[in-house]
Amino acid sequence: MWRRSASGADRSRAGLGWLLRRIGWLLGSLVVAASAVFLLLRVLPGDPAVTLLGIGSSPEQYDAVRRQLGTDRPLLAQYVDWFGGLLTGDLGEGLFTRTPVLDQITERLPVTLPLALSAFVASALVAVPVGVLAAVRRRGLLGVVLSGLAQLGIALPVFWLGILLVWLVAVRWRLLPPGGFPRVGWRDPGGAVESLVLPVLTLTVAQASLLIRYVRSATLDVLHQDYLRTARSLGYSLPRALWRHGLRNGAAPVVNVLGVLLASSLLGTVVIESVFALPGLGTLLLSSVQARDLPVVQGTVFLMTATVLLVGLVVDVVQRLIDPRLRGRA
Amino acid sequence: MPPAYRRRPLGLLATAVATTAALLLSACGGATDNASGSGTPDPDATITIGSLTEPTTLNTVKGGNTGHAQVLLRNVVEGLTVLTDDGTVEPLLAASWDISPDGTEYTFRLRPGVTYSDGTPLRAADVVTTLKRVISDESTSARKKNLSIMKEITAPDDATVRVVLSARSQSFLFYLTTTGAAVTKPGVGNPDTTVIGTGPYVLSEWKKGDSITLTRNDRYWGEPARNREVVYRFFTDATAEHNALLAGQLDLVTQVTSPDVLTQFENRPEFTIVEGTSTTKELFVVNNAIAPFNNVDVRRAIRRATDRRALLNAVWAGRGQILGSMVPPTDPWYEDLTGIDDHDPASARELLAKAGYADGLTFTVDYVPSDSSTIIAQGLKNQLAQVGITISLNPVDDATWTDKVYQRHNYQATIMTHVNQRDLIWYGDPDFYWQYDNPQVQQWVAASETAATPQEQTELLRKVARQISEDAASDWLYLNPAIKIASSAVTGYQKNNTTDSFYVAPISKRR
Repeated sequence: MWRRSASGADRSRAGLGWLLRRIGWLLGSLVVAASAVFLLLRVLPGDPAVTLLGIGSSPEQYDAVRRQLGTDRPLLAQYVDWFGGLLTGDLGEGLFTRTPVLDQITERLPVTLPLALSAFVASALVAVPVGVLAAVRRRGLLGVVLSGLAQLGIALPVFWLGILLVWLVAVRWRLLPPGGFPRVGWRDPGGAVESLVLPVLTLTVAQASLLIRYVRSATLDVLHQDYLRTARSLGYSLPRALWRHGLRNGAAPVVNVLGVLLASSLLGTVVIESVFALPGLGTLLLSSVQARDLPVVQGTVFLMTATVLLVGLVVDVVQRLIDPRLRGRA
Repeated sequence: MPPAYRRRPLGLLATAVATTAALLLSACGGATDNASGSGTPDPDATITIGSLTEPTTLNTVKGGNTGHAQVLLRNVVEGLTVLTDDGTVEPLLAASWDISPDGTEYTFRLRPGVTYSDGTPLRAADVVTTLKRVISDESTSARKKNLSIMKEITAPDDATVRVVLSARSQSFLFYLTTTGAAVTKPGVGNPDTTVIGTGPYVLSEWKKGDSITLTRNDRYWGEPARNREVVYRFFTDATAEHNALLAGQLDLVTQVTSPDVLTQFENRPEFTIVEGTSTTKELFVVNNAIAPFNNVDVRRAIRRATDRRALLNAVWAGRGQILGSMVPPTDPWYEDLTGIDDHDPASARELLAKAGYADGLTFTVDYVPSDSSTIIAQGLKNQLAQVGITISLNPVDDATWTDKVYQRHNYQATIMTHVNQRDLIWYGDPDFYWQYDNPQVQQWVAASETAATPQEQTELLRKVARQISEDAASDWLYLNPAIKIASSAVTGYQKNNTTDSFYVAPISKRR
């Protein structure tokens, strides 16, 4: 363990300054993200009035709908509304159902959060040991097989893997439902877990494959370090040497990639939920994009972006905590 | 430095594997099993229907494109008139009506004893409110323009509704079958998410992104539904929908979008495949206002170069039927016109030469890629190449298509699906995106609307259908089949997709 030196107070002040700067940077990014989300949606082609009316209506009808939806107002006014709302935690209302976007999002969280978090935890649990093993046994059959499998997992498109699993496990063997979520949600816990097994498995295979590659190369780096050789020469067994010295040295980059993994688990739900017909954030985003329900798309994308940025902040803080070398830097 | 390290397996891996296995195992056992029994119909069955179009709102006066008609119309809400599966207009909440000799005054007598699903009686005043609402500022109904011919709507008494039209309209009773003109109880909360009607079902739950549940209305004035509950489950992915059917989660899929999926269900007694007819027409559209398409010979050459049977075969493997004009067989003015400018590449070349394009012709086709449009685009490219026409394919997204082609008419040719009933009359609008401008056709279309009798209307629209075909205003390819796949345990569902609604009350399921 690192000990606090005489200048500990200075250090923690420096740390505080760093944290404040880091948070300031996060807020700045959020502002940029909010503006980018808003602008991109307006630049993209697509008019909610047209999706609402379908074709065959008169130009006056389209104009009337635009007036009703408020999409005819000057961009600046819409932007100010969006931004002002954000500051007060108000994401606005969906264009078509006139229900608050925040409610629409929170309705979907009981599906998406367990899905993304379980996939994240499962991938980490699988990938870290497998990655280390693949590195340690890299010249043996096991290492080659593990690396090969990880490579395969990366190459497989995630939706294809999902479809394959559904076909095999749900359609052929009838072990699990092919998709959907209980209508009563988590009040049917058995049903809810059942519906999430295949999606979590699919997402886990995809995420873990990536992570295995990463952990493997991080471990290889560590294996070649002098301190490890020294530890081994002092009589430590390899697992013990890895545990005592390797883990701490290799942890910082792995924490970094775990952050990326958490974010990609969240984003991965967009494809997965569609394949498994789950009523989560991903399908909300997809159907709102199709209908051009701009406030809902805006709110969902912004919230996902904010989560990713926040995870980034947490990763940076954790990295500083576990790696004292980073703390000297501003 | 390959050290020897055979101490023990890493415990963490074992734990992870065990956890995963445990998760998997714990989840097994609750498998759904749907034996298609041969027992008696279950009056309290739940029918689960798969659909790819979740409504964006339940507001009946919003949009023609919002998916709510399929769920609500005829099931939860009912209009004065109804469009049946075979294309005819019949009375529903109106028991009967009188039309004044000049055709501009309609007096509807409401069916007696009708109540909303909450028990309150239906009053003529509510019908007036509904009809005023569908043409109000709030309304964005696709039929708002058509229904705006109602200039006076009154309720002389509790059982009578009187509507005065600004001009005679042969289509008025048809327009009344639209979702926006279906009667809803006024003032029951957010109309985007709640609706109370007089239909055989009550809307009991909308779980957004997942399902809508309808429960049998025990106070229904007519014959009660043959099932207790209908659940529409919504999918964004067709494969997921078909898997749900295969696994027994669904009883019925309302529209199969490609024949490829059928092989999974064919020759299996637990599933039934039904092919009906639709009003969904596949069109190869040219911009009639610009060269070279303002030359009728060029348009006819394109039609003659098109092998519609080959296209239909490529997309639907022999299902569906080819078209000779813009009219599906369930519209009253249908006539088989497939003989006009039928496939004949040799004469197509002659027509092109006559039009001054002996050396060939090149243009761009904007299209929105889908399973079928991609096949059609490739097929057309090959077929037209045989007569010296070179087309370059330009895939665009929905929104771009609407903006560029539909609204700004900034295109040469496109491939489009038209789903509506009775949409032949768009050829009477010179500003419609295909920009077909024939004053004679416009006059016939207008006259058909103010015709004295339905027969006269039908006669005029037959002339229109023939004229646009002779003018080769568009290249009508084929009519999509309506293919449904159902569990063999359910019966009584409508076979055609010719209405906006999907009437579920007659569906029953064996125990």
